[in-house]
Amino acid sequence: MTINCREEALILSKEKAIYWAAKRMLIISDLHIGKSAHFRKHGLQVPDAVGHTDLRRLSRLMAEFDAETLLVTGDMFHNKINSDANAFLEWRKSYPELRIVLIKGNHDALKNEDYEALDIEVYQKELLCAPFRFIHDKPKEFDEYYNISGHIHPGVVLYGRARQQLKFPCFYFSDTCAVLPAFSVFTGLFMIKREVGDSFYAVTPEKVVKV
Amino acid sequence: MTLTNSKGYKQVIKWLKLNKKKPFKFQTDAWQYYAEGYSGLVNAPTGFGKTFSLFLAVVVDELNKRAEREAIILKDKTAKKSDKKFKHETGLKLIWITPLRSLAKDLARAMREVCDELELDWMVGVRNGDTSQSEKLKQKKQMPEVLIITPESMHLLLAQKSTFNYFEHLQCIVADEWHELLGSKRGVMAELAISRIKGLLQEKQPERLLRIWGISATIGNIDQALDVLVPYDDLPKAIIKADIEKKIVIKSILPDHIDMLPWAGHLGHKLAEKLLPIIYKSKTTLIFTNTRGQAELWYQTLLAKDENLAGQLAIHHGSIDYELRNWIEDSIHSGVLKAVVSTSSLDLGVDFKPVDTVVQIGSPKGVARFLQRAGRSGHSPYETSTIYFLPTHALELVEAAAIKEAARTQNIESREPMVMSFDVLIQYLVTLAVGDGFDDEKIFFEVKQTHAFRELLPQEWNWIMQFITTGGDSLTAYTEFSKVKKIEGLWKVESRQMAMRHRLHIGAIVSDAMIKVKYLTGGFVGMVEESFVSKMKPGNSFTLAGRVLEFIMIKEMMVMVRKSKQKTAMSPSWMGGRISLSSNLGSILRKKYNETLDKTHDDEELDFVLPLFERQAKVSHVPKDDEFLIELINTKDGYHFFAYPFEGRQVNEIMASLIAYRLGRVKPISFSIAMNDYGFELLSEQPIPLDEANIKQLFSPVNLSDDIIASINATEMARRKFRDIACISGLVFQGYPGKYVANKHLQSSAGLFFNVFTDYDKHNLLLRQAYDEAFYQQIEEPRLAAALHRIQASKVVIINTDRYTPLCFPIKVDSLRDNMSSEELGKRIERMTAEAEKKSSARKTKRFKQEDEET
Repeated sequence: MTINCREEALILSKEKAIYWAAKRMLIISDLHIGKSAHFRKHGLQVPDAVGHTDLRRLSRLMAEFDAETLLVTGDMFHNKINSDANAFLEWRKSYPELRIVLIKGNHDALKNEDYEALDIEVYQKELLCAPFRFIHDKPKEFDEYYNISGHIHPGVVLYGRARQQLKFPCFYFSDTCAVLPAFSVFTGLFMIKREVGDSFYAVTPEKVVKV
Repeated sequence: MTLTNSKGYKQVIKWLKLNKKKPFKFQTDAWQYYAEGYSGLVNAPTGFGKTFSLFLAVVVDELNKRAEREAIILKDKTAKKSDKKFKHETGLKLIWITPLRSLAKDLARAMREVCDELELDWMVGVRNGDTSQSEKLKQKKQMPEVLIITPESMHLLLAQKSTFNYFEHLQCIVADEWHELLGSKRGVMAELAISRIKGLLQEKQPERLLRIWGISATIGNIDQALDVLVPYDDLPKAIIKADIEKKIVIKSILPDHIDMLPWAGHLGHKLAEKLLPIIYKSKTTLIFTNTRGQAELWYQTLLAKDENLAGQLAIHHGSIDYELRNWIEDSIHSGVLKAVVSTSSLDLGVDFKPVDTVVQIGSPKGVARFLQRAGRSGHSPYETSTIYFLPTHALELVEAAAIKEAARTQNIESREPMVMSFDVLIQYLVTLAVGDGFDDEKIFFEVKQTHAFRELLPQEWNWIMQFITTGGDSLTAYTEFSKVKKIEGLWKVESRQMAMRHRLHIGAIVSDAMIKVKYLTGGFVGMVEESFVSKMKPGNSFTLAGRVLEFIMIKEMMVMVRKSKQKTAMSPSWMGGRISLSSNLGSILRKKYNETLDKTHDDEELDFVLPLFERQAKVSHVPKDDEFLIELINTKDGYHFFAYPFEGRQVNEIMASLIAYRLGRVKPISFSIAMNDYGFELLSEQPIPLDEANIKQLFSPVNLSDDIIASINATEMARRKFRDIACISGLVFQGYPGKYVANKHLQSSAGLFFNVFTDYDKHNLLLRQAYDEAFYQQIEEPRLAAALHRIQASKVVIINTDRYTPLCFPIKVDSLRDNMSSEELGKRIERMTAEAEKKSSARKTKRFKQEDEET
């Protein structure tokens, strides 16, 4: 699905990514690489396949869009370097030309040399790229830039008659900011209340639907 | 020497005589069996000293042992008074398991009194979630002789180092209120803890005989209850049944005329006037409701009817703050309160002496529950328990008559024990690993002896061992996983952090996300569900603990409130499954329907509802117990199909989906479904393809399992069951109410794990358990099959009419609707979006609030 945001065409992919064709930029958020291994280290049984799936999906996106830049709006890594991060290192090697940009999120706690080794450009707070500001969590005050962020893992609930309920991850667009769904399959959802002027794009297994 | 001649026995009898008491036969029977080395189960009505039947058995035994030893020492002339032999061995002799913390305090007091008066130098200790750290430390140094404990705390003991030292002198384990534990995962916890303690003793003190006893109210499967508690072939066992009948008087509160009772509803407020005189003439009245929401509403109604009750009326339920509840309980004891509106939170527990009257509002859904509640009045032996039944709609009067008959014939429900609870087993194994560590062969042997895991297969055991040691099986290698490791031949948890986290999460009660409610000026009121709070805006009012509160803000994970100036406000709806009518009650109910029209009864309730039945007979038909009634009603809403299996709402719901699915195979058709405890409704816009010829086929038990899976959303049900399983097995941490979870970086949800296992680890046993639980507890497949068989043997009566009948009316009004839809996801989303738009433009429709069921 292609939408228009501040006169820029953005493609919303069902793989929970935005493709900004004009800049050949693939934007994702909350990848949480290493989360499943982090859980395993602490005695919680999360299958390895979870992390591998995320990387496979990322490869699919790379094949679908001709991206020059992969921009991650925070929480790319969960905690520390572990076996999942090593799998990412392998993945990185197959895309040597790709520019990876990370705006740090609250979970991104790798050492600087780790980012260097992975050839990732790191921004501590935000990246301005008119008309957008890329930032992990939306700022408290708004200016002329339209904010594109992540962090909250947005979800939307659809209610039907007879107490029917369906929950989906979603892209959320308000007047001042957009929030990307969390990329990783091993993440929960935070349900957002609808307010005037908001748009929701639910991510279903088949496609992205405006709801 | 026979028991009655023994010194200990005589001493106890003498003491009882001094207090002008005589033991009941079942009590002396219990002492006798105990002395002979038996294990077993005591079944007696409340108020006859079940506690003493076993506690005194252990005391008599101890007194006799001391007498014997003294005799030996006296013969030995060389012995000196200062000799070690003269000293009695101290340490834990008796473990007394109780399901409720609130029971422990009073039990301990009663036991201490006995010890004091018999000059037995025993200490009686309590250990549960309320026990202070200093008390626990004291116990660590010197265990009391008697320890009153919850199943959870027993597991916590096993999670400590050098556990065996605690049990070195143990003689007996008693499971009090065993019928309460049986049928829950806490019962499985008790089974496992007992198996370990028994195993430890066998290892270290093979000559010691450990006795295991239970105390239970009457239930349908009392033999099985014993088998679950004491599954061991090497122990002789007996059931001791008290030959005493508790007198119970059941009276219905009737309005002046049948027309004053609504055909449908669940509040019954119209009868409040009739309740007041009963409260006035009684010393203290307990008023039981089925839900917390109902309790709050009744509390307000009674106060509105009579303002003088202010200060003498209290409300008690599980969401009210602990301190407040304690105060209420103390006030009942001291007789300050005239009446208390309560949910099942007061079902069990200590005797409230001033309580002489009990009122049940609305259907109690089961015989056992009703009798238990009745027993809360007239607690002393030979005193009569009086319970009033206040119907919330007319047909419930038939239930009153059915309950009376069930009470007379002692037709009481069974409690199905839980089996194959892998989640509890996983938690237990990690508990042992946190403690002294375990030998997997030995523990497999012990676990396999328990009733819950009798059918455990070696490959299932292997899977569980892999799950806690390597994460998953070899096919789904779990790299970097660490939890339980083999150290010097034993499986242990090495990480202190992991051990600490595990200890915090031992237990099998999973509560909803609750949030504490606190006054701005200080003082807790209780708890409400987080989802309820999220709908609140500052300035809104709600009721809790009978008070009208104004919501101010959420601060530090607490709801801050102040007293509201408003008189009434909405009451929070605590979520939870509704309890369904039991099948025992259902079958007596069908019989009562016969009797009403035939007038072959002497129940005033049935006389009273007769006009309603005559009306039903006129416009439709009153089903006899060998008949199965179907009403086809055509109104402007569409085509209604009503059927009346009387199997409780849960089974009726599944049956409705099943029939809808089977009808859908005749021709494409969509239905909306409604149900109550008596029957169900299918509503469609098109004529329903149904006639005398295909009706038995529709209700056929053939192909049941496959059709169930095809007709209901089994995945959704399993997902709901998985919530508890994920918590118990330690995948998800349950925060404490009002507390942040310390390990935020390890937080996730049960739903997420359910998805992940479904996608990547299909063979996960916990997933299988979720489906099994859904099938047996939610869907109750065996009960459904039995109902279908019964329907096959019945005469089907089909009535066509054009107006609602008295029988179908409550279904029409009461139920929450469910849709049977075979549309694909995409279409569903489209439709839901369209509906949502329609909804926001249309006027707000009245929403039926879902009532909770108190647990």
